[in-house]
Amino acid sequence: MGFSFVLAVFGSTIAAIIAMVFLLYYFSMDYRRNLIGESASSLSREQSNLLLSRMRREISFSAFFMDDSKSIGIRYLITTVILFFIGGLAGVGMRISLWYPFPTFLTPIQYNILLTAHGTIMLYGFAVGSILALGYYLLPSANMIERDNLGIVNSIMYWFFLIGSLFIIFSRSTASWYFYYPLVDQLSIAGGGSYSFFTLIGVSLIQVAATVSSIIFLKMIFLDRNKSIPVSKISLFSWSIVSSAVLIITSAPVSTIANGYLIYDLINPVFFQGSSVLTYAILFWFWGHPLVYVAILPAFGLIYEMLPKYAGVPLYSYRAGVFSLLLLMVFSALVWGHHLFNSGLGTIWDLMFSTTSFIVVIPSAMSVFNWIATLWTARGIRLTVPMLFVLNGIIDFIIGGVVGVYSADVGLNAFIHGTYAITSHFHWIFIGMTAGMAFAAIYVLFPTLTGGRTYNVPLAKVHFYLNSVGTILMSGFWLVGGFEGMPRRVAGYFGIFQTYQDVAAIGGVILGIGFLIFLINFAYSAYQAPVMSNDNSLEGEVQPI
Amino acid sequence: MNKATPIVLFVLVLVVAGASFAWFLTSPGGAASFTQGSYNQTKVIVLYANANGWNYNSTPNPTLNEKLHTLLAFKVIGQDGLAHTLTINPGTNESSSLNDYVVNVQIPTTVGSVTWVNWSFSSPGVYTYWCIVHPYTMRGLLYVNSSSNNSSAASPTGSGMIPSNVPNTNEFALISNDSNEKIW
Repeated sequence: MGFSFVLAVFGSTIAAIIAMVFLLYYFSMDYRRNLIGESASSLSREQSNLLLSRMRREISFSAFFMDDSKSIGIRYLITTVILFFIGGLAGVGMRISLWYPFPTFLTPIQYNILLTAHGTIMLYGFAVGSILALGYYLLPSANMIERDNLGIVNSIMYWFFLIGSLFIIFSRSTASWYFYYPLVDQLSIAGGGSYSFFTLIGVSLIQVAATVSSIIFLKMIFLDRNKSIPVSKISLFSWSIVSSAVLIITSAPVSTIANGYLIYDLINPVFFQGSSVLTYAILFWFWGHPLVYVAILPAFGLIYEMLPKYAGVPLYSYRAGVFSLLLLMVFSALVWGHHLFNSGLGTIWDLMFSTTSFIVVIPSAMSVFNWIATLWTARGIRLTVPMLFVLNGIIDFIIGGVVGVYSADVGLNAFIHGTYAITSHFHWIFIGMTAGMAFAAIYVLFPTLTGGRTYNVPLAKVHFYLNSVGTILMSGFWLVGGFEGMPRRVAGYFGIFQTYQDVAAIGGVILGIGFLIFLINFAYSAYQAPVMSNDNSLEGEVQPI
Repeated sequence: MNKATPIVLFVLVLVVAGASFAWFLTSPGGAASFTQGSYNQTKVIVLYANANGWNYNSTPNPTLNEKLHTLLAFKVIGQDGLAHTLTINPGTNESSSLNDYVVNVQIPTTVGSVTWVNWSFSSPGVYTYWCIVHPYTMRGLLYVNSSSNNSSAASPTGSGMIPSNVPNTNEFALISNDSNEKIW
């Protein structure tokens, strides 16, 4: 049964791709005419793509039939928001299940499935996906690109991303997001799961998509940039994408190869069976830690872009911002060993990775102080919804970052490594920065994305406050519980931790309600009549064609 | 922007997220759950986890006869520092299906560590207690006898009928003249 199921999935995937290629050719010219006018048929594909990527573009399902950069960005945006809600619902389910020490709502295996789904979908689907979405959507405007000639490649990479996400969802793996070797290849439900290798295939597809897209981002920024923009004037969002792209290109292929070994080991265990159990862990974390920097660096860039606009002054120091982003790129590639402090890398390696982890504080603090200096010199701070998200993101980053700094201590790490303190550390940063900045960017782009509508401000503020309070409750109580030894990644817990888990559950549900309100606000506001121009402050001025 | 687009997106997000959540929960083996029965007394059962057999140094893999409506408190003591589990499933054989596991608890690998596993069976019958890591050696039978009908359950290894209301001396035997203690 399993074999025929695999055949069915692959067969239908290939059939779907063929059907989509036909649909693409059928629909694309029609939609191009709608947007550009009758001259679309006289233009070559590259010329019309260039025109399309210079326009203000709104959310539309026709983006799935066009392959200019902004259409690709809209595709990623829609997919990513859907994936965010899938992963978020899994997270809220886990929180509710942990209300009582003895699991009542979820069995341990269901909990492990939700844990894996939450981690994998949020990191590969949402974090990587939102970077690709914002990169494809904002980079053409930010750099006023002069060529947009790799539409087919972009499009194929998008379908890789989508199919990879579907594989991850359908696999129901319990191997957690790092797929350690002996577990992931045990196909019993108590091991990695029957279709654990589906997750590996899906993750590999997303890594390929991210790698190729990163190369295209670098091409957009350095080769296709308008000649009127010198290197010293490249926007900080573009610099943050440069950092992320270089990290992805240098480290994602390592993990893709390791995933290939794992899939081969399923059939013939030759790679990891005989070697140290650390072999796969090292190959994974060589990508796994750069991945989390990939997830927050574009958020840094968005803060750099948004903060001056709402503070009413130019950024305090552009050069320090670029320097900080590039230093983060260099140092974050060298710290992955701090995930393996307790795995026996050896004292010398532990000390080296501990030192590099401490050094990463310097560029991070450069960015934070740059933002604080910008706020300090501001002449009139407008507390709009995106600005609230930015301020909340900075505060969350400081709290989560400080927890990360003392997690980098080898001795303390031995105590808190398996506790909720670590979960708290990265949820502060991921909710505050990655998710917060992505949704702040959506709020800023709202008039453009919806064709002149404006979001309902009270509802948006409710979303913000629920988001902020939910993060503080959830991550804050995880932090305190973690330092008392509350173990993470378990379906049940000791009764003494029930207070922390219950408050965290309330926080998680509040977060979920907040994002549900965002969804309602989006549907409600976009259904109203257009009231304003479809311009936004993030993309700069509309370029002459 | 088409007026239908936000509504379609709204519905799409909710439907896809809900369907995915439901799909995650329909995992094979995920729905199994055993409920405990009521109990009016507690019985302590000491088990030494040894790769050669439960309680290997006294009576290897003892056949346990217990009464229904009793909270069985298994005091599992790690004896050899190896990985063990205390797994109980209905029937006279080890089951490979996770759905069947009434109890499945991992024992720490520290020599002398004590793990308490409490369970009150809700239905009488014969159960197998074993270790997933050492299924061939660490395997014994556990008879849960209904107290109303004493003669219904019999041990195949015993000499004839063993009424369940006979006080089980297992606990005292293991604690008083404890040959298991010798190893550590």
